[in-house]
Amino acid sequence: MAEDDLKKLIGKPMSKSTVVVERGPVSNFAVAVCDRNPVYRDPRAAKEAGFDAIPAPPTWPFVMQAWGEFAEEQPGDKPKANAMADVIGPLMAGGGLILHGEQEFTYHRPVFVGDVLEGEGTVVDAYAKESKGRTMTFIVTETVWKDAKTGEPVVSSKFNLIHRG
Amino acid sequence: MAGALHFEDIKEGDEAPVTSHTLTRTDLVRYAGASGDYNPMHHDEIAATAAGQPSVFGHGMFSMGLLGTALTDYVGAGNVRHYQVRFSRQTWPGEELSTKIVVTSKRVEDAGHLVDLACTLANADGEVKVVGEATAVLPSRG
Repeated sequence: MAEDDLKKLIGKPMSKSTVVVERGPVSNFAVAVCDRNPVYRDPRAAKEAGFDAIPAPPTWPFVMQAWGEFAEEQPGDKPKANAMADVIGPLMAGGGLILHGEQEFTYHRPVFVGDVLEGEGTVVDAYAKESKGRTMTFIVTETVWKDAKTGEPVVSSKFNLIHRG
Repeated sequence: MAGALHFEDIKEGDEAPVTSHTLTRTDLVRYAGASGDYNPMHHDEIAATAAGQPSVFGHGMFSMGLLGTALTDYVGAGNVRHYQVRFSRQTWPGEELSTKIVVTSKRVEDAGHLVDLACTLANADGEVKVVGEATAVLPSRG
């Protein structure tokens, strides 16, 4: 894909989502990242640690759409096209490998069980590099999650995807 | 537990307790289920070897999660303000993965008493799987 076409993606919307954070999935996820801290599964332990609700482990925002994106909660104005999928789809059709290059989270506060979060994702960077005779296409997306009740920012997730042709 | 470590307790160069974990295929299946990431490269040995891989391999986000567990064990759940990694190598079942978390700086800002940390996850041969950095806000006795 030409460099100019990639540059045109920057700023394009990728997703819009409303997510409900539930206790079972959060507790189960903590176990899956080998975290035995009881604050992630027992509300009494969470309270003792000074939290009003069970917090989620730091990498939870990466997976929470898989658990809490319920059809009836979704915004009516979801973007029709997913800019990242529109690029990766054709690239993958020609073969190659998808790699997760980098991941970054910026937290304004912990995510808690009981939260309803609204996220909007956009493409923040897109470029290609030649490496050892292969074309590496980099797409960086950022999803900003806000508290649906207050509108306050909660966490931003930056995802750097690489297609190695 | 959250709140155990205070800003005054640490200095530049301090290291968090090391977490070591030997990766199993069960870990990969559990992470697939908990994350919703069912890429067959992480759980289907037949598909992975057919694709030219020596075996199934770990999710990058499992590595970031394991390192994140060591991070929050040190700074306290809920105290991480920034956490960023680069995935440098694949992880393989049977590898012992160990965390290394080093305090790189301390600073007091409007946001609170902040500590910056360098974070890596490596196997027993020292091959780095994930390298990154984090910032946490710690309670202060001041």
